[in-house]
Amino acid sequence: METSLRTDPGFWFMTALGLVLLFLGPLFWDLFQIMQITQYVVLSVYVLSLAYIWGFGGILSFGQAAFFGLGAYTFSVAAINMGETTFPFVLAFAIPAIFGAALGYFMFYGKLSDVYMGVVTMVVTLIFWKLINHTAGPEYAIGDARLGGFNGIPSVPVLNVPGDAQAWLDPGQMFQVFMAILTLLYVLLRILIASDFGRISMGIRENETRAALLGYDVRRHKVIMFALGAGIAGMAGGMWATYQTFIDPNVFSLEMSAKALIWTMAGGVGTLAGPIVAVVLLQYLSLKLGEMHILNNNFILGGIMMVLVLLVPKGGLPTLRDGIAALRVRGSVRRSGTPGKVAPDV
Amino acid sequence: MSDLRPILTTEKLVMQFGGVTAVDNVDFSLREGELRCLLGPNGAGKSTFFKCLTGQLTPTSGRVRFDGQDITGWETHAIVGMGVGIKTQVPNLFDGLSAYENVRMSARRKHLRPMAKEKAEEMLEKCGIAHLARREVGLLAHGQRQLVELATVLAGEPRLVLLDEPAAGMAGDERDRLADLVLETSRRAAVVVVEHDMAFIRRIAKFTTVFNRGAIFREAMIDEIMSDRAVQEIYLGKQADVAA
Repeated sequence: METSLRTDPGFWFMTALGLVLLFLGPLFWDLFQIMQITQYVVLSVYVLSLAYIWGFGGILSFGQAAFFGLGAYTFSVAAINMGETTFPFVLAFAIPAIFGAALGYFMFYGKLSDVYMGVVTMVVTLIFWKLINHTAGPEYAIGDARLGGFNGIPSVPVLNVPGDAQAWLDPGQMFQVFMAILTLLYVLLRILIASDFGRISMGIRENETRAALLGYDVRRHKVIMFALGAGIAGMAGGMWATYQTFIDPNVFSLEMSAKALIWTMAGGVGTLAGPIVAVVLLQYLSLKLGEMHILNNNFILGGIMMVLVLLVPKGGLPTLRDGIAALRVRGSVRRSGTPGKVAPDV
Repeated sequence: MSDLRPILTTEKLVMQFGGVTAVDNVDFSLREGELRCLLGPNGAGKSTFFKCLTGQLTPTSGRVRFDGQDITGWETHAIVGMGVGIKTQVPNLFDGLSAYENVRMSARRKHLRPMAKEKAEEMLEKCGIAHLARREVGLLAHGQRQLVELATVLAGEPRLVLLDEPAAGMAGDERDRLADLVLETSRRAAVVVVEHDMAFIRRIAKFTTVFNRGAIFREAMIDEIMSDRAVQEIYLGKQADVAA
């Protein structure tokens, strides 16, 4: 009865694809392509933070950028002060996760409705953005790291090999590390989603009242998920900082939050692979449109978004999946009796 | 079967919404293993009473005791953890998931994975919906959804089962099966049933409580209740004459 990960071809395909790109990618790409694809990988990790909590826990956060930015600044400040990047990378996950747990505690134990949760997460992002923009003066420094206000922090260290602060990774190696992180994250999230914890999350997404009436502590469960999402977004922020070797307050921008929503929606809420594909396609498109200088980039992307919402409201991957399922059902109806919609034993 | 120890009592339970008193000074007592029917016209406060018992609402005043423990103001999941299961008036289900997954999620709280699977399948079978196990419950008919929710509640093996209009939307056969199921359940747990379906009530009811305007109006054996003029007036009205 229970379909498991073991029998899910999508899971194996994505994992295999991740591994193939990880090992073979750098052999075929030039430096520019590697840099470009690394960006997609970082943003994919970022989008997974929302794809997970929204798609598999029903938590719609307008504030993933708050955690992304927090992770980016945490990493930068810690790396500049410590002179190495391994522990700062851990902090880039831990600090946003702790902050997410605290914020989640007040939101979920305070029983905020979805709308107010959206507002709170958005406002928190704005507060960070405002705050960090006002740290231009030299008095705003943490140890050796000046926050730099709207100018940001220049010369964020490049990732080094753990234990050897002088052994910096070259772009090819950095791509491989990030690709490994993305692949591992995807696998771990899929395992988590298939676990009992994940099933309860989905129960909460479907019906919070029933979840509570079965005896599950909805609040605690949501805080854990939200904190995990915050940690993942923060880790992506840390990756972003070291990838760019520079950050500015735009990591906290509403645009950054909105992008996570757009990618998740375009790829399909309730999937992990869909949003990753959406990141790659939409970022690539955005790059190409930028090169053409014909129309405003955001204008076209906005248009695409509207078309997507109107025509494929479920998002790319679920629509594709339903399409394939419909074709199969049509085939089986011809062969036998009436079909019943079968629920995925997610 | 029924010993005298009460499993559930409420003392002067009051639930107010602004100026409206939905539950008014209710002193209710249920013995362990008892099967109780709760009658009353729409708006009598039966569902609100249930919500106070399960922590979905925090009573304005008064106490709720379950198994000797004061559970007033507890969180829903904690009360349920004590052994209370409720089928709500409008079925609360995980609509996007399969019937099996719904029931399993309930069984899983008490049992390890293999046992939960077994329990879930057993409960689906018992409720006569094994053939619906793989179907998405959001797409099922109302009567089928009722049964899925019932199976979900029973899979949690509660000691107190609250059923809010379980027979609504059910056809003759389904309803009879449900009555048998309720009777069987009451051999292992205390059960409170809210229903309007008189044929169903007649099959299961013994001692019965009638609510009116948030307060307990009568408590007596079902025959007595059915022949009570005042009860007929507030609740059964002309229906009773037709049924009689």
